[in-house]
Amino acid sequence: MSSKHRTWLINKPFVRDYGMIFVLLVLASLFSVLTIKQQHPTGEAAGRQVADLIISQNGRQARVLIVTRNTSEDLAFANGVASSLIDAGATVLDNVNGAASDAKRAIDSILASGGEIDAIAANDVTAKWPVYDRFPSVGSGKCVVPSTYTWPDFLKISNLLGVANQTAIYAIIAIGMTMVIITGGIDLSVGSLVALASVGTAIMIRDAGGGAHAGLSMVIGAAIAGIGICTLAGAFNGYMVTTFQLPPFIVTLSMMMMASGLSYRLSSGRSIPELPTSFFWLGRGEVAGIPNPILLMLLLYIIAHIAMSRTVFGRYVYAIGGNAEAARLSGVPVKRILMSVYTICGALAGLGGIVLTSQLSAGDPKFGLMYELEVIAAVVVGGTSLMGGRGKVFGTLIGAFIIAVIKNGMNLKDVDPFNQKIVLGAVLMLAVLFDTLKRRNSRA
Amino acid sequence: MIRFSAFFLLALSFAVAGCEDSSGKKNTHQDAQKAKDVVKSKGTIGYSALTLTNPFFKVIADNMKLEAEKHGYDLIVVSAERDVKTQADQVNEFLVKGVAAIVLNPCDPQSIGPAIAKANKAGIPVFTNDLKYDGHEGQVVCHVGTENYNGGRLAGEAMVRLLGGTGGKVAIIHFPQAESCQLRVKGFLEVLDAHNAKSQGDKIEIVATLDGGGARDEGFKAAKDAIEANPDLAAIFAINDPSGLGARSALESVAKQDQVKIIAFDGQLIGKQAIRDGKIVCDPIQFPDRIGRSTVEQILKHFNGDDVPKEILIPSELYYKADADKDPELNDIGIDKKL
Repeated sequence: MSSKHRTWLINKPFVRDYGMIFVLLVLASLFSVLTIKQQHPTGEAAGRQVADLIISQNGRQARVLIVTRNTSEDLAFANGVASSLIDAGATVLDNVNGAASDAKRAIDSILASGGEIDAIAANDVTAKWPVYDRFPSVGSGKCVVPSTYTWPDFLKISNLLGVANQTAIYAIIAIGMTMVIITGGIDLSVGSLVALASVGTAIMIRDAGGGAHAGLSMVIGAAIAGIGICTLAGAFNGYMVTTFQLPPFIVTLSMMMMASGLSYRLSSGRSIPELPTSFFWLGRGEVAGIPNPILLMLLLYIIAHIAMSRTVFGRYVYAIGGNAEAARLSGVPVKRILMSVYTICGALAGLGGIVLTSQLSAGDPKFGLMYELEVIAAVVVGGTSLMGGRGKVFGTLIGAFIIAVIKNGMNLKDVDPFNQKIVLGAVLMLAVLFDTLKRRNSRA
Repeated sequence: MIRFSAFFLLALSFAVAGCEDSSGKKNTHQDAQKAKDVVKSKGTIGYSALTLTNPFFKVIADNMKLEAEKHGYDLIVVSAERDVKTQADQVNEFLVKGVAAIVLNPCDPQSIGPAIAKANKAGIPVFTNDLKYDGHEGQVVCHVGTENYNGGRLAGEAMVRLLGGTGGKVAIIHFPQAESCQLRVKGFLEVLDAHNAKSQGDKIEIVATLDGGGARDEGFKAAKDAIEANPDLAAIFAINDPSGLGARSALESVAKQDQVKIIAFDGQLIGKQAIRDGKIVCDPIQFPDRIGRSTVEQILKHFNGDDVPKEILIPSELYYKADADKDPELNDIGIDKKL
């Protein structure tokens, strides 16, 4: 590729700002290929298929035992088998929905009453139970299972939604962090603020709202108060940074310790599970099949993108990061903008804490451990420069997903946990190197 | 930049493929051996450990793996590094992979509930070991652990024997976040209270209860503070071996190792060696190997259609220098060399 051609590609704004999206896509394809596996169909259609197999092998007089677990997918499968078998005129001896011990009892009672089993309609899990081999006249050879198909684990809908859901909290906090880092600052307190919001809200609901019986208005009030505490903490960070010109690193490091200590103190180091079910909607509910944290994340990213690219506020944030002194001289209200950036960062960390509390159904001072590093890593991998002045909100979202996809892919491939850390460290270092080379490139 | 991003991806795919390759080769070798014993893999068990930086959980994992492979199951081990969210995410990934059973050391006795409930909903049985799930949202088939309360009582009895004639000041290096450690300290304190109630001038007084994080470095700091505040300290009870050894280093740094005796807990290899060398007086020992094996046995029983008890507690035993001197595990020079 000629160097002229290369420069042209780099200078395309989309490639310059969101080049990492190609990395994400390649990673996704890489893990799709690596995690291809035999998959086992579930549900009613699979059940009908098994019934047809049994009829073709054992004829219409087949005496069949159905063994599934007590889950909604398995029940649909069992219904599919049963209705097809009965339509064909076969006999359903029993329909077991439960554990291996239930299957054992069912077989015991069939054999005790002189019955015989020609086939067992099972799925991939129940067919592997060793329980059938305990009966010489049965044996696991009689299990009939649906035929498999090939599909990557990585591309299962449940996995993709899982990855997005796991990333949502980091990504939400990373919005605030992106803004802070674009101004040339850093916020180390976000992890502890997650814990503080979690504990603060849970304690308010437990002590003032009646715990598990708290009403909806109380729940909302407590959540807002929890975010409010973190907003104040963020504002305090901003105040110390702007008024006393203290380095953000030190200010937020102090806040990190204070907030963590406070949340351990308030909760006496224990988790607080006394929360009403209405509180779980935010973290565990879904709209149109998509978990709420993902929707919340997307909404916030759209708002943040508009704020950073289409408003005066956004221009000022970049201006401060580019050169704070020049910005001040050209009339940018530096102090006010910095204050609001740290406040937003605190508030979003608080919101992350509420979502996490809702997902895990308890307030816990141990939440948010090392999140500041996860979040900073997402921001940096997403192409925001730690020197300030450049970076894109959606770049951060891509960065968060790159880290999440690498982690998820390595987990699906059973990569040793210690090796995972090495890989993640290397990824972060490469991203920073990438940023530096890009900067040198564009200056040249 | 393009060249660089290509390099970046290449490096990453090598890294992932490399990690996978090494384990893959091992597997084919094992598979060849396994093929003789069992016809096919009966399924995979997913184990999310509290942390793998504490050797105790590594021993559990290794023994689970041995026992599982003996019976034709595979074991995947991941480490939650004490973070509940990480652990919940790992449970989610186990479900995507379609494991047959899940084993957890809950990072929090409550907040892991939704993850367990999700596994229940997917029909995957959940087992816990060492640390117990304490909530109501999900169902755990069986918990396998140490009788921590009785272990704590044993530590208390050892302390009474140690200081019985003279009495003295004792500091506890605690890890209050773990329920298992709370039980240990509860048992320990009850024995001391009973002793003090009938004591004549040889009262054993608890002067400090500090959080040592269950780890060597934090145990060091906690013990250092305790000895600073109480120069006449007579003994320390540490709730596990790493924090006990941290306390020992702290005592050595102020040359008080002969004045202050340590009773720890666990009986890990490092702890047993310290007992042999006289650095720790004694441990109520746990049997992580038995915990690991028993957990897999319960899973097999569950799949075999047998009823499984809700809880299996493995009793703890006191382990002194005399036990260490005749322990084959320690007298094998090979092990010492490996460390």
